[in-house]
Amino acid sequence: MNFDRRSVVWLSAIVVAVNGFFPAVWILLTSLKTETELIRSPITYLPDAPTVGNYVTAFTAQPILRFMWNSLVVAGLSTALCVLVGALAAYALTRLRMPYRNLIMSALLAVAMFPLISLMVPLFKAMRELGLLNTYLALILPYAVLSLPVCTLVMAAFFQDIPPDLEAAAMVDGCSRVGALFRVVMPLSAPGVFTAAILAFVNAWDEFLLALTMMNRVNMRTLSVGITLYQGEFAFPWPLISAALIIAIVPICILIAVFQERVVGGLTSGGVKG
Amino acid sequence: MRDAPVARGKDLSERALGTLLLLPAGLLLAVIVVYPIATLFWGSLHSVDNANPAAGDQFVGFENYLRAFEDDRFWHSLAQTVVYVVVTVPGALVIGLGLALLANRPFRVKWPVRLGLLLPWALPLVFAGLIFRWFFEYQTGVVNDWLGRLGIAPLNWLSDPTLATIAICIAIMWKASSFMALMLLAGLQTIPKSLYEAAEVDGATAWQQFVEITLPMLRPAIFVALTFRTITAIQTFDIPYAMTGGGPGDATETLAMYIHKTTLDFLDFGYGSALAALMFVFSMVATSGYLKYTRRNAGRNGG
Repeated sequence: MNFDRRSVVWLSAIVVAVNGFFPAVWILLTSLKTETELIRSPITYLPDAPTVGNYVTAFTAQPILRFMWNSLVVAGLSTALCVLVGALAAYALTRLRMPYRNLIMSALLAVAMFPLISLMVPLFKAMRELGLLNTYLALILPYAVLSLPVCTLVMAAFFQDIPPDLEAAAMVDGCSRVGALFRVVMPLSAPGVFTAAILAFVNAWDEFLLALTMMNRVNMRTLSVGITLYQGEFAFPWPLISAALIIAIVPICILIAVFQERVVGGLTSGGVKG
Repeated sequence: MRDAPVARGKDLSERALGTLLLLPAGLLLAVIVVYPIATLFWGSLHSVDNANPAAGDQFVGFENYLRAFEDDRFWHSLAQTVVYVVVTVPGALVIGLGLALLANRPFRVKWPVRLGLLLPWALPLVFAGLIFRWFFEYQTGVVNDWLGRLGIAPLNWLSDPTLATIAICIAIMWKASSFMALMLLAGLQTIPKSLYEAAEVDGATAWQQFVEITLPMLRPAIFVALTFRTITAIQTFDIPYAMTGGGPGDATETLAMYIHKTTLDFLDFGYGSALAALMFVFSMVATSGYLKYTRRNAGRNGG
């Protein structure tokens, strides 16, 4: 009985882990194979003679480090902007007696549901007229706004739990209201601010449609679009693409591995409360 | 004596401060969301006259919408989008629920399960599309290898319209189900253990417990997860873009892909705007349907 229960638990863990990890493991194996091994029939699972040649080519065939830098700049700056603006809004909505509070909250949620493709057409026209195509700003502003609703709501949930007395004490000590937000409320809600930041960062890092639209110069491509440039006109060099994919997912893997608990908490806060 | 004016002054300044703090968010939303949506509808009423392109955009009324009505490619891309919604929303829910039930066990080592659910979520959609394209390759793909081991002849997954649609749906469901599982898992963990213990005392089977306790208690979480999934499914773009590029022909093209092509490849902004405006309406109708359902249920629970 006891043994049975344990093996069921083990089996469950294995199913969930294999489902999640298999694609990544498969491209890792592919990235270590040569093109000649790849076309062998029947296909091999483990590479015969593992090679890092594809990784070397991945760095030279396309400016992948440049793509990564672009993604980092765009995701980093849009996250900073989103968290800053979102924190101010969340503070106003939770700690101050504001009229139309619920209306503003619902409006924020409605914005989160707008289809991106509908925004894409006019945004592209506007950015083109402003000469902002192929600039970081063309992605930073939309990304910050797209994550703004969820970040504001996540931070609002945390701000709500800070006792007002702490803030009052800080103000007695000569802090202004805005000073209290940055010196008391935000540090105390650090997990919430942090969660919001991770969500905004991953959203920006993963985005494809706008990145494809706003940046058409190779040097300005972000990672998600840059990866698609490894495919040839007619053929797909899978070992090379796999190597590039592995390079591209390493940063995001580290991020979620280090902050897994926070990320799960942030992702699911909406589901539990809704 | 001094108390009243101070309190009122504080109230006013609090409201002023609140408005000031909301201003940056409002401004950003106005510029990046409200203004584009407004110009989208205005732009959809214009078109460039092919006989005289130098004259620029001309007002054409609802001509672009009438054109969509007669455009087979629009109807096809819409139908294809509906297929992705109808298949992947319930599909991802069922798989996600399965994963959540599996993951909702007292593991001593938590990270393999947690990362097993987080990795598909964190992976960019376009990466998932590329990886699944690789899985479904005719000669070297792992899916046909598995089929071969079962004695099934290899299938030409990505060059047959039906098979390509199936392959895309599988990739979307894999990608979407882990996020669903995370939300449902959070819901599962709020169900009090005592409910199950009481059911066990009453001799309820595992299936009865699932139907009578788990599902009803999960309803809010399922609802939120379904809403999110539907909204994203309507906008499906990245995965078919990476897996088939819309092909063979335009067979797997979604509405979002057609809008993108119309605007950026054909540079037909008027028509692209009209299609995007239609997409906006579809999306809002789906969302409001869900919202109405929540409100009705909230009323029932309250009463």
